[in-house]
Amino acid sequence: VGETRLLFRNIDEPGLSSIDTYKRLGGYQSLHKAFTEMDPDVLLRELEESGLRGRGGAGFSMGKKASFLPRGEMDKYLCCNADESEPGAFKDRELMQKNPHQLIEGIAIACLAADITRAFIFIRGEYALQADILDAAVAEAYDAGFLGDDILGSGHSLALVVHRGAGAYICGEETALLDALEGKRGNPRLKPPFPAVQGLYGGPTLINNVETLSNVPGIAANGAEWFKGFGTEQSPGTKVVSISGQVKRPGNYEVELGVPVRMLIEELAGGIAEDRELKCFFPGGSSSPILTAEEGLDKPYSFEAMAEAGSMLGSGSIIVCDETTSIVELALRTARFYHHESCGKCSPCREGTNWTVKMLERVLLAEATPIDLDLITAVQANITGNCLCVLGDSMAAPVSAMVAKFRPEFEEAIERATLKAAA
Amino acid sequence: MARQIRNAVTLVVDGREVVAPEGSMLVDAAKGGDVEIPVFCYEPKLGEPVGACRMCLVEIEGIPKLQTACSTPVRDGMVVYTQSERAREAQNAVVEFLLVNHPLDCPVCDKGGECPLQDIAMGWGPGKSRMRDPKRHFRKPLELSPLIAIDRERCILCYRCVRFSQEVAEDEQLQLLERGDRSFVGTFEERPYVAPFHGNIIELCPVGALTSYTYRFRARPWDIEDAGTVCTLCPSQCNIKVTVRDEHVMRVLARDNAEVDDGWLCDKGRFGYQMIAAEDRITEPMARAGDGSLKAIAWEEALARIAKGLEAAGAESAVIAGGGATNEEGWLLQEIFRGALGSPHLACSPSSPDPGLLRRLSSPRLAAKTAHIDFADAILLVGCDPLNESPILDLRIRKAMRRNGARLLVAGERPTTLDGGAEQACRYKPGDATAFLSALAAELGADGFEAGGPHAEPAASAAATLKGAGDAVIVWGERLWRTPGAVEALAAIADALGLDASHGAGMLEVPESANGRGLREVGLLPGAGPGLAEAPAGRDAAGIRAGLAGDEIQAALLFDANPVRDYPQSADWAAALKSAGFLVSVSMFDDESAKFADIVLPLESYAEKEGVVTHPDGRLQRVRRGIEVPDGIRPGWRWLLDLSAALGNELEPDSQPQVWDAVADSVELYNAISLEDIGGTGLRWQDHQLAAAFEEGAGAAPGGGGGGGAPPRRGGGRPPRLRGGLRRNPPAMRPSA
Repeated sequence: VGETRLLFRNIDEPGLSSIDTYKRLGGYQSLHKAFTEMDPDVLLRELEESGLRGRGGAGFSMGKKASFLPRGEMDKYLCCNADESEPGAFKDRELMQKNPHQLIEGIAIACLAADITRAFIFIRGEYALQADILDAAVAEAYDAGFLGDDILGSGHSLALVVHRGAGAYICGEETALLDALEGKRGNPRLKPPFPAVQGLYGGPTLINNVETLSNVPGIAANGAEWFKGFGTEQSPGTKVVSISGQVKRPGNYEVELGVPVRMLIEELAGGIAEDRELKCFFPGGSSSPILTAEEGLDKPYSFEAMAEAGSMLGSGSIIVCDETTSIVELALRTARFYHHESCGKCSPCREGTNWTVKMLERVLLAEATPIDLDLITAVQANITGNCLCVLGDSMAAPVSAMVAKFRPEFEEAIERATLKAAA
Repeated sequence: MARQIRNAVTLVVDGREVVAPEGSMLVDAAKGGDVEIPVFCYEPKLGEPVGACRMCLVEIEGIPKLQTACSTPVRDGMVVYTQSERAREAQNAVVEFLLVNHPLDCPVCDKGGECPLQDIAMGWGPGKSRMRDPKRHFRKPLELSPLIAIDRERCILCYRCVRFSQEVAEDEQLQLLERGDRSFVGTFEERPYVAPFHGNIIELCPVGALTSYTYRFRARPWDIEDAGTVCTLCPSQCNIKVTVRDEHVMRVLARDNAEVDDGWLCDKGRFGYQMIAAEDRITEPMARAGDGSLKAIAWEEALARIAKGLEAAGAESAVIAGGGATNEEGWLLQEIFRGALGSPHLACSPSSPDPGLLRRLSSPRLAAKTAHIDFADAILLVGCDPLNESPILDLRIRKAMRRNGARLLVAGERPTTLDGGAEQACRYKPGDATAFLSALAAELGADGFEAGGPHAEPAASAAATLKGAGDAVIVWGERLWRTPGAVEALAAIADALGLDASHGAGMLEVPESANGRGLREVGLLPGAGPGLAEAPAGRDAAGIRAGLAGDEIQAALLFDANPVRDYPQSADWAAALKSAGFLVSVSMFDDESAKFADIVLPLESYAEKEGVVTHPDGRLQRVRRGIEVPDGIRPGWRWLLDLSAALGNELEPDSQPQVWDAVADSVELYNAISLEDIGGTGLRWQDHQLAAAFEEGAGAAPGGGGGGGAPPRRGGGRPPRLRGGLRRNPPAMRPSA
């Protein structure tokens, strides 16, 4: 009820991860159509017109990104970003674990459209099970002739490699992913040049999220108009939403973009655990500014509506916090994550995350004054927009939102801790 | 890759109109408008900008986010604000962030007083601290290498040292370990960082995190002075500054000269200065007593004994100069030996170049500038191991390959450190250089060379590369002269490739001693006088050795030369020097050769000397005095003038600049170039307006060979400053024996 299952159509089918089951349920027909009937330029136009937006967090048009790649003979690459490491996000994990062939089919079709012959799936090291499943699925796809040389006699070839990361959040940042894939320390690169111009090994590179690429077979089979029939005008299609936190039924739910947030939390996820009140929620993973119930519960869940509400849809991961949640501890926990994962390359992020953690710790240790709350806010402002990549902003945005929206709670915590220390 | 010509664009920085080459980085362009944008990680010598420190954030009209000026290429019509409220806020923020974990121990830090972090914190920082949390701690200082201490608490993680190790020296030993604010610079398993250029990271460090054990705690910036000079420990002749405190050299720093050294130094040059104040240095004239010990004697006595000894030998005397002997010293030596003593036996290296061929190869059109290596399409490195013979060239060749895609071919008897990155590395047996080069010349279609032989295959492949590339630069070692026919074949290769026709192509010979090229050009060769003019034939180094051993040479003078250590057949040299009738050594130490000398004269170090040396690419460079000459040491030009006079050849000059003027007048190639022309960064004689004249006369013997009096000056330029009565007896007129 309330779900619109496109990517999750057969998700609960036993054995879906094997090529036989996937094919029996209609899998690889899109690939067949694309490689034998479709002109790659038409395919690319369909992807562009579908309005499919990147599902990894930034929400940039996937087709447009693919069209940025230069044409002509050269080494071009596709990197599937499967480094799903944002706290609260676990949708790609299920998509890869249960339906790996949908992803492989999407990669193959995207490579055909963008004239790419080498592709990688960069999967986070902790997803060992999913990587094993992908390895097996890739081998099956090679055997079936859906990967490799001259696919289905089209003249187009594709090599696909599954690469396991070593477990760093930063490697989900697209340029850090490229460095890590090249065997270097996973540090973000300066942009420009953008990966579409100069990416992996210096070649033009298309980088897309698992869910984005999993959408490609559907669009290739049914066309852009069909896809636009789902979702909102600016956010077409469906979205697999990871709902976690204090809800009764946490999990992944695929819905049309634009459904009310309330429906996601209260109906699909079954409402707040033990029927407590909702205090706030992260609409798009731990890097999105939190929204209170009043601010967000009755908004449509779409890229544009979440941005309007002062947050973002991001990777589509809702983390629900009920009335018992301490915002101070939530802020500290969020800051600690980004402090731990900051790569250290640029100064504002490296020092800003570390300083913020120390200040928030002081709030809990009775060593802070309300002036420190202003300092925390000022430091977040100094981080925002001044970093090499978005990791610093990913801490600054939620932490500054928490201090702004729940300042009395921080002040209370300072007072409480001070009294406790005095006693 | 050919150098790209870039158009000029106009932009406005802080309200000032600035014209800069298109594509240059904003931070550099702004300097043209006298606007300084602070940087830490940006250092163009290290290659592409990384934009890591975020210090250079500025506001650009039309771009919503602040941009890093270090990585933003300028465009026409760009309007930039480096001091707007937003830009100031961001700059304050970055300084504040950098100081979050910096210990601020400036009073006890060696960098204090000359520290970019201090300067930028004062200029662009918020001025007060809001940080009251504990800072991170590391064990410190730690020994990063036997020469460098690392203080990780002071490190601001700008990446410069790591980039140097990985992208310039390519030793790849330095790494950034751990993550976030726990990051630190280190090596794998904390092994010592041992590499031939690692001292450069001390200078790159914008804080006091990397300090040298040789300088640490020995001086403060307010009680030192820097003196610019040239390092003459090898032919690279890197431009340096010596840091002086109380007339002592405390350290050596690079004095960036993109045409010479790219702003890098090798560790030998950087740390070798300690020999200047060595306890066993010879600081006064000494005479060898019967028991082999040295006894100090007065200068006058020493010079009188030398004059007597040499005069007795007359034309049966010989001189070998080397090392950092200046052009003035070399010229005076040939005045004494050729002029006063009538001896044609002069040498400045173990090799024996053929004067005619040398003149041909000295053609300015065939010469490659050092900087031409940067943009060469192909580099042929033959008979030379840059890392050991001219280290800084090793870095330059790596840069050409890494940044501009130059194709490298290496050929030699021994492996070099560049073999790994070379497209092709050919190895030939010792003594087989001629065979290899002849095969290559044949493959390139040179007349008179036959294809085939054992080297046919590698030669064919090398020839294909060279023919397919645009501008080729041949870097070759002087030691090729030791193999008869090798340099002839090399010259044929240069002709076949038409190296004289293209501006970016050419040849660069790496001499065996620091001023090898200059000493030759001032006439320290048998058969070639000043300016490579024809002169009576004489013995080369090997001939001198044989003459000493066979009693045909009665007296010899070694000037900054140590053949027992540096020349082939060390034992024979020792025996020859031992049997010398009269031997003088001018040396800083009682070294392997000096120990056979009857008289040992003290030698100035490069930090004490005044003089001119010639870089392998023809660049005249000034060695300048940085510290006082220790008591008891006289400048070489001074006592050489006295010695010449004592031998009856009284010369007019009476100061170092006057000696140089005499050299520049006498050496045709130097076209009366003045010390002012040479200046602080040097001047290639080929770039002088009169050099083209040498080209025209290249086929014939240049200079007044065999003729009488002064050679005719070529037209144009300044009138010659040849003084009447410069010398009593024009040396070329004297019979050789």
